[in-house]
Amino acid sequence: MLPYLGVVLFGIAALLGIFNRKASYLMLTASSIVFAATQFVYGNYLSYYSIIAGIVWVFAGIYSLSYGEKYGRWLASLMSLTVLGMSIILVSNNYPALIAGWEIMSVPSYAIVALNRSQKGPAFTFMTFSEFSTVLIIAGAVSSFVASGNSSFGFIHLATFVPLLLISFGALIKMGMSPFMISEWLPIAHGNAPANASAVFSATMTLMGVFLITRMIFLSAAGPALVYIGILFLIIGSISILFASIYAYISENMKMLGGFSTIENQAAILAAFGLYLVSGNSILREFELVTIIIFALSHAVSKTGLFLSIGSTRGEYFGEARAPEDRWMRVGTLLSTMSLSGLFPAIGGLAVWMLLESFFMQAYLGGYIGIIAIIVGSVIAISEGMATGAMMKILSFSALFRARKGHASRVETVTVFSVGATILVLFVISVLLVPAVFRGGIPSVLVFNGFTIESRFSAADFGLLSPDYVIALITVFSLAAYAVFRKPKTRTAEVWNSGRSVSSEYTSFAYANNIRLMLRRVLRTRMGNDNQPVSVIDVFWFAMNSLGRGYRRMCMIATRKFMNSSIAWYMVYMIVAFMAVIILAVALY
Amino acid sequence: MRYYRFDSPQGRFVGNTEKYSVYEQVISEQRHEIPAETYQNLPGELTFAYGPATGGLMESVAFDMHTPGEVIKHIEVDPYVKTRKLKVKGLTPRDALLMVERINGFHAASNAVAFEMAVEDALDIDVPEGVQYSRLIMLELERIRSNLEVVKRVCEPAGFGVPQNQIAYLRENVARIISRLSGHRYFFSASSVGGCQISKSGIETRIGGVRKEFQEIFHALLQSKIFLNRLQNNGNISEGSLLGPAARAAGMNVDARLDETLIPYRKLGFRPFIFDEPDAFGRFYVRSQEILASADMILEALENSENSTEADTAGMNGEGAARIESPQGDLFYYVKISDGRIDDIQMSSPSLLNIDAFRKSMAGNIFTDYHFNWESFGIWISELAVVMQ
Repeated sequence: MLPYLGVVLFGIAALLGIFNRKASYLMLTASSIVFAATQFVYGNYLSYYSIIAGIVWVFAGIYSLSYGEKYGRWLASLMSLTVLGMSIILVSNNYPALIAGWEIMSVPSYAIVALNRSQKGPAFTFMTFSEFSTVLIIAGAVSSFVASGNSSFGFIHLATFVPLLLISFGALIKMGMSPFMISEWLPIAHGNAPANASAVFSATMTLMGVFLITRMIFLSAAGPALVYIGILFLIIGSISILFASIYAYISENMKMLGGFSTIENQAAILAAFGLYLVSGNSILREFELVTIIIFALSHAVSKTGLFLSIGSTRGEYFGEARAPEDRWMRVGTLLSTMSLSGLFPAIGGLAVWMLLESFFMQAYLGGYIGIIAIIVGSVIAISEGMATGAMMKILSFSALFRARKGHASRVETVTVFSVGATILVLFVISVLLVPAVFRGGIPSVLVFNGFTIESRFSAADFGLLSPDYVIALITVFSLAAYAVFRKPKTRTAEVWNSGRSVSSEYTSFAYANNIRLMLRRVLRTRMGNDNQPVSVIDVFWFAMNSLGRGYRRMCMIATRKFMNSSIAWYMVYMIVAFMAVIILAVALY
Repeated sequence: MRYYRFDSPQGRFVGNTEKYSVYEQVISEQRHEIPAETYQNLPGELTFAYGPATGGLMESVAFDMHTPGEVIKHIEVDPYVKTRKLKVKGLTPRDALLMVERINGFHAASNAVAFEMAVEDALDIDVPEGVQYSRLIMLELERIRSNLEVVKRVCEPAGFGVPQNQIAYLRENVARIISRLSGHRYFFSASSVGGCQISKSGIETRIGGVRKEFQEIFHALLQSKIFLNRLQNNGNISEGSLLGPAARAAGMNVDARLDETLIPYRKLGFRPFIFDEPDAFGRFYVRSQEILASADMILEALENSENSTEADTAGMNGEGAARIESPQGDLFYYVKISDGRIDDIQMSSPSLLNIDAFRKSMAGNIFTDYHFNWESFGIWISELAVVMQ
């Protein structure tokens, strides 16, 4: 019963929200702690996802005590319901419970987006993709049921790859990646929700996708089919990470930028899954699993910090942002963006290092998999550079250099700073998060055993990192510099613009416009004339819309030209469709 | 006025003075206004203020670039941030000349000769043909130096230090030739109303040497794809009122030397070099060709040139106008003289129209190409931001 305690408490938090928002958020926070504590089993990777989700929900709950006040009476209940759905996914031990949790997570999220905006578009888009995702998961569950000999809806070990493929695609949609396209639905949905809900969506709803793929991989028996699925994941991951990082860089909506950044992170995790499936080396596979967990942890916590700090600017677009004047808020934002940039000394730095280390170590093993690994690793490295640019943009134009200053509540400031501090702490303790096999040291240079994370691919001490020593060195040198030079003397002066009155603030749009122009063939950048702004379109979204419209047009033509009151043509259609379904079913099973 | 008349606007528009609009053969009180275009920044766009006193600019000029980043949607140019007021009225033509030739030292000969010709027109002073040949030598030498300066400045933003310094060396050589020829590196006091004093000895060899060296540099620059990439399709403009090399690069057969009757360009068989690439490359190419053509003309004119002393203008009355082809295009002077003193003086510089053309050509351009385009027009702010009182 203990594993379900947290789930029940989330239900109580949802009920409480109807009567008292603050009590609901407090309950959500407390329930998250209970949930994480009751789920954790050391060495069980699947249980780590509950800890990650719990951390996010704790921060989102505390932040909402202040931020959630202005979002009507339903937000608290709906947020708790969404979290309840996720907790059911995490504790489920059969497909019906999983699907129920998936829907309980999705429907209140739809309501949050719908209630926040007068336009129906974002919520409708969200729900459409959610249902696509659910349909695929149901299909996967059915195929698992069939594979079990029609005996169990439980999570059984499978000899077939079909459930893994179907459920992974369902999870991919939730993670913002429909196969071979960046789903703009995720930034649209996340960008149109209140910041606290966006944090929960972006950090933990996508985490559910990662959790689901992990679960299905654990259930699938190794075989050649898994290698092909792995290559497919690598291709989807590398395309998605590149485009998502570019779209994040050029986004003017801060929350949509965060949404694209989420896709970029999820694509990196998907690529790691792909590498896990194609890699034949057991040490590397173990290292990749740890990479996936640390990447998921890093993304969830950092993205929470990012969305909460965006919420404190009281705007959605960079042009509306008011940089909170509190320095602790800025420190928290800095650490979150550093982590999402893959920089040290944040946990995101470790995650990116481990990911790139995995790919480049796989390349050492040679073969065509090695070639794929080096290509995908390079694409990830390029994309991480672009992601750093995107994060610096959000840091600069929402927190540091804005002329328009704003004020954040104490609760918000403390929460954002705490998230930043958590990111630092996670980096410090990260050696404890990896199995003992990957821990090492170089005592000859005073890096004692247990203080390094090593990929264990070479007899030489190559491919290692020591988070504690990184922190220690930065601290020592910073303090030494401070002791010698003290606080630097700064002098502020009035802005001198050659005596001219014209004085403009450099814009976030201008910051990213070089990329719009350089990648104009990819982004389909439209220059416009004097009265039209420079604009880009999401080519994937555009292609999908065109495909949808084309399909609808084709159906209309078929309906009017051939099947208009013609029972004969209708019968032909029915027969062809029936045969196609039978052939498909036979082919799959 | 023998060559100009006051009338309604007709023919090619060559510029505005403070009071008048100037056409090929007509001065009009009916102003040809150059419409100022305003621009309101769209969301995300900013106004980047460049100048008036900053690196990369030789003269004081202020640019407001309206940009969404990198690409320039619209540009405004204000050349009047450092306007100079010259008190010329009331002076004798001789004293006025001292100020006129200092309006722009780099184009002292052009300003001086145009002013002198306007005074000669006003006072019916006939100048011997040999002196006009001397003036032609002065104008073409000045054209060589001015065009060398522009080509040098086009090389600068490309980071082409070697050709830049090679051309600077040639420009210095030309300055020394001018010094030997006129006694001053900027032609100051070399010419006068009705007269001209130059020394031709040794000029032929020196100018031939400059021509040969420049030709080698020019051909080497044409081999550089990197350099040409920065110039080609940069600042395309072929419509509107272009003047000088900018017009000729856009395929317009426009040159005041074609209209000239006193300075003997026609006798030397002058034909302007017309090109069909209205971009920074075209302007660079035309200027380079003009350097070579000017050197040839000087070599031909040396045989016929003569010197003459200054004419007496004391107590005379009249009004006159003259237009010559300065290195940047049509330069116009109008003078009214009462009792041997300047009663009114009007000047039109080619930079006015060329700035407008530059402004239009910048729409859609990018920051890194801005300098190439600006320099290729060879605009001189000092000739524009001057008020003669």
